[in-house]
Amino acid sequence: MQRRVVITAASAITPIGHGREDILRSLREGYSGVKPLRQDDLLAPFIHSQVFGTVDYPIPFDFKRVNRKTMGPVSYYACQVAKEVLEASGLEQEFITSGRLGVAFGSTHGSPTVQRDIYKVFHSRDRAGVSSIGAVDYLKSMVHTTAVNITKMFGITGRVIASSTACTTSSQSIGFGYEAVRYGMQDAMLCGGADEYDTTTVAVFDNLLACSTAFNDEPGRTPRPFDVRRDGLVVGEGAGAVLLEEYESARRRGATILAEVVGFACNNNGGDLILPNLAGIRETLRLALRDADMAPDEIDLVSAHATATKMGDIIEAQAISAVYGDRPLVTALKSYMGHTMASCGVIETILILYMMQEGFVAPTLNLEEVDERCAMIRHVPSLVKTPVRAAAVQNFAFGGVNTGLILRKEP
Amino acid sequence: MTREAIEAEIRRIFLQEFEIEDPAMDVDLREAYQFDSIDAIELLVEIERFLGSELTMEEKKRAMDIRTVRQICSYVEELVRARRPGGSLPIGDLCKEGS
Repeated sequence: MQRRVVITAASAITPIGHGREDILRSLREGYSGVKPLRQDDLLAPFIHSQVFGTVDYPIPFDFKRVNRKTMGPVSYYACQVAKEVLEASGLEQEFITSGRLGVAFGSTHGSPTVQRDIYKVFHSRDRAGVSSIGAVDYLKSMVHTTAVNITKMFGITGRVIASSTACTTSSQSIGFGYEAVRYGMQDAMLCGGADEYDTTTVAVFDNLLACSTAFNDEPGRTPRPFDVRRDGLVVGEGAGAVLLEEYESARRRGATILAEVVGFACNNNGGDLILPNLAGIRETLRLALRDADMAPDEIDLVSAHATATKMGDIIEAQAISAVYGDRPLVTALKSYMGHTMASCGVIETILILYMMQEGFVAPTLNLEEVDERCAMIRHVPSLVKTPVRAAAVQNFAFGGVNTGLILRKEP
Repeated sequence: MTREAIEAEIRRIFLQEFEIEDPAMDVDLREAYQFDSIDAIELLVEIERFLGSELTMEEKKRAMDIRTVRQICSYVEELVRARRPGGSLPIGDLCKEGS
């Protein structure tokens, strides 16, 4: 059985806004969500990179205590976007709890905020401190905390897939959700990812010399994907969720269809866990096209992973060129908000959906002078008004994991 | 400490910590308010704060059979009694005696 899979609702909390209108405004106006790194009592003062893709606006969480009690900050984000998606979907409560709806949702490593509090207790060597570890600390911090807090809040009884593959977490969530619906294992899947503010993630990339440091005094001018002055990634926070449904049943119930997911691929480089790998990435892009049964020239827009690292952007440009040539527009959406880690795949998918609906492509921010080693693809230095019939969203992660998603506007 | 004072404190804890307003004395808390084992552990922490005294593992385990507010009040009453000078009978033994 192979069924068609459509996206019928989407929501995102991002450094450039919460919800469709905020995000579209930021994309049109070239607003950057990169701000000074939040200071804390841990590592922040020692980190060279002092920029962060920041969610700095209030979010009206309205969760009952029975749900809040097992949530760290990452699950607040996750449950908020899940709630907005389910409300927008118009799905009946009976369906939501029927077992026909599943959840594919992940984060990089649960809630580091809660984990840090536990570690502080461990190192206190204080018996009273140990007994102060709360009964819910594990539930708040565990890797699958986002997925299961969503199931609990909404009474979802279908399958749970809790990807945790760093930067490909939420693109895997969408891809595995798509496969679950396509092959008839679920009729719908709530898919996405989230990551909360986390200084330790910044420290890790900072120590790898992978973070941007040259624009600490001008946060909005970094990251700079494909630009000759790019100097590394900017870590960020955020969340996104999409609802995937089987096409015929979505159409029958009169759901708004935002786009069709027509292809997904996921592979591994089979070697180094950090260095980008041209062969692995190129193969992912080809496998996604094959799964979609589409030719490269049917893709109008590529959403590049493009973290603005020195080598990563070059390898990705080479892979795009090898698979697509220079026909499709290529935009790098991390330029607006930094690298939102586990949520980047779903957030970038949602931004592409919005732009497909509105008929424009947002430019890669801060792309002032294209690095000649990345110049073989069709960059978007300024906003382009154009219909986008099909788009590719690609993401790559530490561990050598690569994903490719193919979206089509009209089912 | 009177039984009334204990009951008032338990009701305050339920309202402030668990967002459960004015729980009925004899309903099953799990069925009525989704009060689960996680909540029970957190309630014990609140009771320790209230008493200003750490509970023994035996006392905590004894609490796991509690289902109603009335039982919680009796449990705390017994803890208070056990902590009085000369009242050092372990709570488990007190409960076995049917107090």
